[in-house]
Amino acid sequence: MSQQTTTDRRKEPARGSLGQLLWLAAALTVAVLPHLPYIALWVPILVSAVVGWRLLAAGYRWPLPSAWVRVPLALSGFAGVLLTYRQVTGVDAGSALLLVMATMKLLETRGQRDRAVVVFLCFFLLFSAFLREQALWAPAYLFIGVLVLITALLQVSRFDGTVKPATALATSGRLLLQALPLAALFFLLFPRIPGPFWSLPQRGSQAMTGLSESMSPGDITDLALSDAIAFRVRFDGDAPRGSDLYWRGPVLSEFDGREWAMRALGFFPKLTEQLRDEGPAARYEITLEPHGRRWLLALETPIEWDAEAAVISAPYQLVRFRPIEQRTTYRARSLLSGTTPGIMTERGRTADLKLPAGTNPRSLSLAQNMRAESADDAGYLDAVLSMFREQPFFYSLTPAILGAQSVDDFLFNTREGFCGHYASAFVVLARAAGIPARVITGYQGGELNPLANHWVIRQADAHAWAEVWLNDRWLRYDPTAAVAPERIEWGMDGALSRGSIAGADEFRRRFLSTGLYMSWDALNAAWNRWVLGFGPDSQSDLLRWTGITAPSLRHLVLGLAIGMIALLGLAGAWHYRQLQGSREPLLRAYRQLCERTARTWRPRKPAEGPQEYATAVATVRPDLATELNTLFGAYARLRYDGPQDTRRISAFSRAVRRFRPARRPPDARD
Amino acid sequence: MMAAGLANITAGFGRALRSWAQRRQGIDPLEVELHTRRIYILPTRAGLVFALITFVMLLGAMNYNNNLGFALTFLLAAVAIVSINHCHYNLAGLRVAAMGAEPVFVGDKFQFQFALHNARDARRWQIRLNWDGQGEAKYVDVPATSQKILALSLVAEQRGLQRAPRLRVSTRFPLGLLQSWAWLNVELTGLAYPRPAERALGAAAGSLTQAGANTSGEDDYAGMRQWRPGDSPRRIAWKAFARTGQRLVNEYSGAGAPVWIDWSSEPDRNTEQRIAKLARRVLNAETSGREFGLRIPGVEVAPAQGPGQRHRCLQALALVGASASAAA
Repeated sequence: MSQQTTTDRRKEPARGSLGQLLWLAAALTVAVLPHLPYIALWVPILVSAVVGWRLLAAGYRWPLPSAWVRVPLALSGFAGVLLTYRQVTGVDAGSALLLVMATMKLLETRGQRDRAVVVFLCFFLLFSAFLREQALWAPAYLFIGVLVLITALLQVSRFDGTVKPATALATSGRLLLQALPLAALFFLLFPRIPGPFWSLPQRGSQAMTGLSESMSPGDITDLALSDAIAFRVRFDGDAPRGSDLYWRGPVLSEFDGREWAMRALGFFPKLTEQLRDEGPAARYEITLEPHGRRWLLALETPIEWDAEAAVISAPYQLVRFRPIEQRTTYRARSLLSGTTPGIMTERGRTADLKLPAGTNPRSLSLAQNMRAESADDAGYLDAVLSMFREQPFFYSLTPAILGAQSVDDFLFNTREGFCGHYASAFVVLARAAGIPARVITGYQGGELNPLANHWVIRQADAHAWAEVWLNDRWLRYDPTAAVAPERIEWGMDGALSRGSIAGADEFRRRFLSTGLYMSWDALNAAWNRWVLGFGPDSQSDLLRWTGITAPSLRHLVLGLAIGMIALLGLAGAWHYRQLQGSREPLLRAYRQLCERTARTWRPRKPAEGPQEYATAVATVRPDLATELNTLFGAYARLRYDGPQDTRRISAFSRAVRRFRPARRPPDARD
Repeated sequence: MMAAGLANITAGFGRALRSWAQRRQGIDPLEVELHTRRIYILPTRAGLVFALITFVMLLGAMNYNNNLGFALTFLLAAVAIVSINHCHYNLAGLRVAAMGAEPVFVGDKFQFQFALHNARDARRWQIRLNWDGQGEAKYVDVPATSQKILALSLVAEQRGLQRAPRLRVSTRFPLGLLQSWAWLNVELTGLAYPRPAERALGAAAGSLTQAGANTSGEDDYAGMRQWRPGDSPRRIAWKAFARTGQRLVNEYSGAGAPVWIDWSSEPDRNTEQRIAKLARRVLNAETSGREFGLRIPGVEVAPAQGPGQRHRCLQALALVGASASAAA
């Protein structure tokens, strides 16, 4: 008997049951786990210490701390977050603060309401975890997390202790499964109003890898060791050759003698109008991983694109007004001409020829001598490439460190470097000879995933090359190709496997090209495309697929309403059936028995008892006597003898269902 | 100010809802099956907080354009919506049978018993029972196809018949976000005996024998006889019972003549004090094991002994001054 009495929540015993505290601990654990790699170490330590103490306190009936302890503790927790993160907003700091608050709340859980608040805070923590982590396993964790949290809510909102974990999990699991169709409907049809409504907080500790606004010697080397995916590309039709895959990113025109930087983005002339749309081209779709910067990547030279709010800047760079904070998908078309259009003003020419005074003097004199020996600009540039190719220049991921006069040091001393070194040196030599030039950073090549038929471009594919102004257009020169042609022909893997680059992790590379990895990548891409990338456009596509030609918000709301009415109606009907059916299984079976018996002779009179009725029918239908006696006798015993046993009742119901008496006695047939 | 205003509005709404429910339900029989028509459901305060959380999450998901955030938000919203059904279903079809309460003295607590019968093949969780708007609440889980008995206490405020307030059967299953409830307007009455005067009033105890018609003897032991139904257990000779296995009763001389407890023999002018003293004498008489009768204006209880007689006499005293219909 659980007649033990518990009064309402104000008078409830201060502690709540140990079982309920264990469920709160489970809820906190589920909420804190995905944050572990990101939050400061002291936060989980504090959480486990407080949870452990709280459990002991409940077990040994220690008194809970008074406000004199709790308030200073909470304040120091707040101060701790502030000191660690220098803010209390943002995903990292916010999550840490929520955790500290939930933990402090645990120290004053007296009633059902306090316990529910802890679970509510855990819902928020789970939510904030997904702002950070959206990998393929995340939805599984979402489901498990919600299951644990609502089970905890079920347990802690009880007034007299917990039920068995299996019982509670079964109940909340059923709740969750029944909620899934409705949740799916919401997901598909709930109108998505594109944000952001408030500025997105910084991502805090999670620095994103990728290209940056500047490049000093060795920067790209760091990227070259990163397997992180920069973007995925799906070509319409055949992909261009690997040596044509120059993915254009930041254009760096400002040189301070060592570091290359982007010029402040100026005006946006309609440069695409200068392009003659002819020659080989490629049409493709890019899914760009978020990198926190404003540029988009595109195959050189983009001519059309559908990315939202994207324009071509003066140095022919595809940029967007808002930084790319989410995975973004866009389509584009590019000409594979190796040239980009531009407008060369006097000011622009000066800027693109500028070399800081007094830097790299030996390179300058080398350039002037070589230019004097060449017939024209093109001949001079070819001579520079020949120099890289024929003299002992080496391609290396671990080049020697360069001094202050970095280009001089590279050209005359170390003579080994990565794409950045060569691009930088080439542009300096071009400018020194009076040819406007700039460094282009981006990616080169990529890897085909044959399972998903898309190309994967990783940070390791980062590359730098040069553009020079010749014959009123920008012409691509890739000095790295002169030193390590395999880098361009075969991509990064080719360059590394041919042994020209030291320090690469062979095993890791090999794993990345296995079928298993390819399947995983294909799955991830599908997940990104169909689930994470689901948005207003996908909703329109969905509506179009159902035959609506011009989808609008009205259709979404209508679809949502119809779907909800259908689902809730279905649930209501099922619910009603359950209500009818479960009322009294024994009575239901007895009613059925009487209906079937009534067909053989006459219905049961209202005041007639089961035995009476059976005897009466048996006198008229002696052929049914045994069956009637068994069935009606069984009912009488079940109804009036002792406690009702569900197993016996269902056996009786089955027997009734099998009972199909003939309408007439067998001998009456003629 | 705001909070007070809100509380007023809520209270007003509650009153209107109650009187509306009362009008459409009328008086209920002692055993009621909670039909869906009489079950109401509203979100609890925790439910409102949950709705707010879901809304904030929706804004967050929109702001970050985060589809997993949307998924979590929509899943939680759907769970809350589905739990409406579960909350309602947990109560629907439950049979509540009121079983009444034993009489108690004024100032003590009635224990009104209720049987909760679950015919369904599934557990009913956290059924809460309380007097509408007052008193403590009791909780119980009723397992599949079984019944549980709960007792709600109620302070006996004055002697006589006391009508129990309206009963409220509710549940917050499954997540505490919603509460479904039903009101039961059962005509439940408890009988409150008058509070007896303190035992210290020795004079009253002494006057017992004087007031009785037979004052000749004290309790002189007169031997044993066979037990008869109606004999007080206090008079059983337990030692003899242990020895012989026979239930024998000690007999006292003078115990044969009934003691009359008479209204007019009590000098107190104040009716309530007089009733209290008479009640004390009823208790004393019952303890002594003699036959006793009661004479009060309009009622005469014939002499007898045992708990039944005690009840008859105390009931008569409880109903002094009550209308004839209540006494019947």
